[in-house]
Amino acid sequence: MRMGLSAKFTITVLVILAATMAANTFYFVRTSTRIQEQELTERGRVLGRLISLISPQAILAFDYLLLNDYTREVSSQPDVMYGVIVAPDGTPISSYINGANNQIGGRLRAGGAAALATTLETLGDEAQLVKLEFPILHNDVLLGRFLVGISREGLQEEFRQQLSKQMLLFGAVVLFLAAAIYVVFRFNVLRPIKKLIAASREVGRGNYPVVDVKAVDELGLLARAFNTMAEKVKNEQAKLHRQANFDALTGLPNRMMAFERLNLEISRAKRSGQRFAVMFIDLDNFKDVNDTLGHAAGDELLVAAGARIQGCLREADSAARLGGDEFLVVIPDMVEDANVERIAERLLQAVSEPQLLCGRKVAVKCSIGIAIYPENGNTVETLMANVDNAMYQAKASQSGSALFFTNEMNVRLRERMQMEQDLNVAAELGQFALHFQPIFNIGTRTPRGAEVLLRWRHPERGLISPADFIPVAESSGQIITIGDWVLEQACRCWSAWRKDGIDPGFMAINISGVQLRKRFSTRVSQLMTTYGIPPHALELEITERVLLDDHDHVAEELRQLRALGVKLSLDDFGTGYSALGYLKRFRFDVLKIDKSFVSGLPFNADDVSVVKAIVAMARGLDLKVVAEGIENQEQLHFLRRHKCDLGQGYLLAKPMDEETYGRYLVKAQGGETMRFGVTGLKAPFLNVV
Amino acid sequence: MTTQLQHWLARRVSGAPVLLFLLVSAAITPIGHAAENALALGVFPRYNATETTTMYTPLADHLSEKLGRKVALVTSKDFDTFWSGVQEQRYDIVHYNQYHFIRSAKTYRIVAHAEEFGKGAVPGAIYVRKDSGITDVSQLKGQTIVFGGGKDAMLSYIAPRFLMMRAGLKDGDFKAEFAVNPPNALLALYHKRAAAAGGGDILMDLPVVKNAINTQELRILAKTEPLLFLPFAVKRSMPAKLREQIQSILTGLEESETGKPVLQAARTTGIDKADDQDYIPHRKMIEAVFGATGIPQ
Repeated sequence: MRMGLSAKFTITVLVILAATMAANTFYFVRTSTRIQEQELTERGRVLGRLISLISPQAILAFDYLLLNDYTREVSSQPDVMYGVIVAPDGTPISSYINGANNQIGGRLRAGGAAALATTLETLGDEAQLVKLEFPILHNDVLLGRFLVGISREGLQEEFRQQLSKQMLLFGAVVLFLAAAIYVVFRFNVLRPIKKLIAASREVGRGNYPVVDVKAVDELGLLARAFNTMAEKVKNEQAKLHRQANFDALTGLPNRMMAFERLNLEISRAKRSGQRFAVMFIDLDNFKDVNDTLGHAAGDELLVAAGARIQGCLREADSAARLGGDEFLVVIPDMVEDANVERIAERLLQAVSEPQLLCGRKVAVKCSIGIAIYPENGNTVETLMANVDNAMYQAKASQSGSALFFTNEMNVRLRERMQMEQDLNVAAELGQFALHFQPIFNIGTRTPRGAEVLLRWRHPERGLISPADFIPVAESSGQIITIGDWVLEQACRCWSAWRKDGIDPGFMAINISGVQLRKRFSTRVSQLMTTYGIPPHALELEITERVLLDDHDHVAEELRQLRALGVKLSLDDFGTGYSALGYLKRFRFDVLKIDKSFVSGLPFNADDVSVVKAIVAMARGLDLKVVAEGIENQEQLHFLRRHKCDLGQGYLLAKPMDEETYGRYLVKAQGGETMRFGVTGLKAPFLNVV
Repeated sequence: MTTQLQHWLARRVSGAPVLLFLLVSAAITPIGHAAENALALGVFPRYNATETTTMYTPLADHLSEKLGRKVALVTSKDFDTFWSGVQEQRYDIVHYNQYHFIRSAKTYRIVAHAEEFGKGAVPGAIYVRKDSGITDVSQLKGQTIVFGGGKDAMLSYIAPRFLMMRAGLKDGDFKAEFAVNPPNALLALYHKRAAAAGGGDILMDLPVVKNAINTQELRILAKTEPLLFLPFAVKRSMPAKLREQIQSILTGLEESETGKPVLQAARTTGIDKADDQDYIPHRKMIEAVFGATGIPQ
């Protein structure tokens, strides 16, 4: 049971007052008892002295009747229980017992005169009796003794009555004081406290009332402090509300607020039966801006993008920044999809408008996913999942595009998720296999090594292209496990061939940027040691995109790899940024010309120019050049004529599985053993996929 | 008053014969007034003066009323004062004990005696404790005997002494102690302050005694023949008519409605007629105890 403050206070006051009363009563009892005792003793002394003074004459005159009169007179005094005059030998010669109903009197009378002396002695233990004894002397001769017993009962009864009265009076005073204190407490303390409690509850409900303050005492100070606190809480609450619901950078509602509004919009749309659209906007390549121009520029871009998005919307529409480079737009009361398309186009156009960032004109596109309530979901979760999917699809399909959500997107998403699950067990189930595509010296047409390719033979879907599952593995992080498996298997193959007396040359293995984040160089060193791989036999291929990620870390890993003596190859050169700074900074050994440039050779002037420039640049930087996708003699001749060092392609050799490649190597090396690099070796054309 | 009357008569009566008559009258009148006007009732100080006044004023008033003349109660502060009043015959009527009468018998004569507790005559007695083992008066030899009152107490001293003398105990054979009154003598015995106590045989029946002690523990060892109780006497010089008139009033109290409260006030159950002859036994005992000429003064 909860005890209120007033109850506690009242009880405390009552306890204190009761304790005071008890202490007072105790003192009263002690004092009264002492005074009683003194009074009784004094009365006894007075009587005793008087009797002992007047009795000698009567005793000497054998005037026992007079002695009886004395004892009777003494015993008739209030509270005197008995008066007895005894001879020097203790024999009673005059006695009077008072109090017919008194217990002690009864005992004294019961034994008669003969037993009186004995009874008087036994009365010594009676707590209710004050016993006094006075000698009766005449000329210093002891004539007898006067014994007087005074009962405490009368005084005690009087004392009890006084005590009862005092207790009643004190009780009344206590009750009155308690009531008075309670009333004062209630009006001066409890009422203000209740006001504060009510105000506190209002604060708890999000209201911030001002407590009326009149008192100047501590409660008044408390109320003022409460008002000050409530005001500060109110301000802080507003601040927190803003921080919690609005994006500090763009000033737009944040994810929480966006979802809240979306929820409200769903409720409103449910009531009105209207449709509305949700747009998920993600800036394309925003990371590149951050990486290349810095985070400040990125923030500036986000602010500008937010403002542009907001500028394209009606007053009823709402925009929010979900985080990073993601924005959400809610278009209520949407009647036709065409209207949404027009808004999406305006957004695409507005966002992609060039703007100055750090003194550079930068144009960043965005991808927009669109979902419609209620067709594409009637909950926040569903709508967000679908619109996110639509945005992902839009971004995957074409930069700077917008896509309405379709159920097919979900199918693709499910396929992707299924692929992730299948990837988890693919290695264990032996579904992965390494294929090796020989890389030739174009001038001598002799194989110098091979590019290691991963193949995934799915039990249901058959052979799945790396182009399909590698992005999935990279996005899910599974590429680390898979890449490690590839690296180890390649090392194992190389080691096995070497043990068979075959020289497999070098192995070019594609490395994902994700792998580089996990102490990749350590793992490479470990495998090289384990399988006895010499550094020059290992060539790691990375794409330009990898170099965009975390420059310092990537640079450090590449430095470590170079320290191991491993060769580094820049894959798909020419398709991306092709920043020459990378070549210088990361000190690659090999450049691989993307097959898209090779395919136009020797007739496409652009491809010819690009290839010639790449080869010339590589030669200038003392880099080897590998041309990919050589499929005909003209391409081969062109590349040979322009001093391209190495090449690979179906013209030279198709990718082969481990066993086939092993036999290929044996054959290529002239039977038992053959050294790579033999001029004029014609590589077998193997169709291994 | 006499002087005023003489002046009044002098103004009204003239002439020598008248004057002679007045002078003779003046010479005779005071004597007649003294004899007619006041009778003194003396009561011996058995009780204190206050109590005596309370007890005997109704009797004095009653006598005054019946006699048609003033009867004044005269109390005494002590026995000596009283006795000097007896010797000087200041009391016309006196109430005292038997011994007093014997001593004043030359000047006073008995007219009545008092009854107390319904008894007009009471034997003198010797009391002992039942647990004392004393069965004969002679055993009191060498013991302490307590008597009520003094040596003039008829029932409490003279009569017990008479019994002791008869048993062969003389002065010096015992130690005599005196209590202030007979009940106290019995109380002293009860409280073992003495081996025996002397007193009238009605003592143990007195409420004052019964209320004070357990009388069952006492018994009478010996007692005399009944002796008439306290006498009322008048001066022998009192005219016979007046004496008889007084005797009649006193003995008639018990029979009259107005007399009963008087007796009750005097704590007396009755007053009977008596004369000097009724107190001869007392005289004999007194003479036996004190000797014929040894009555203490």
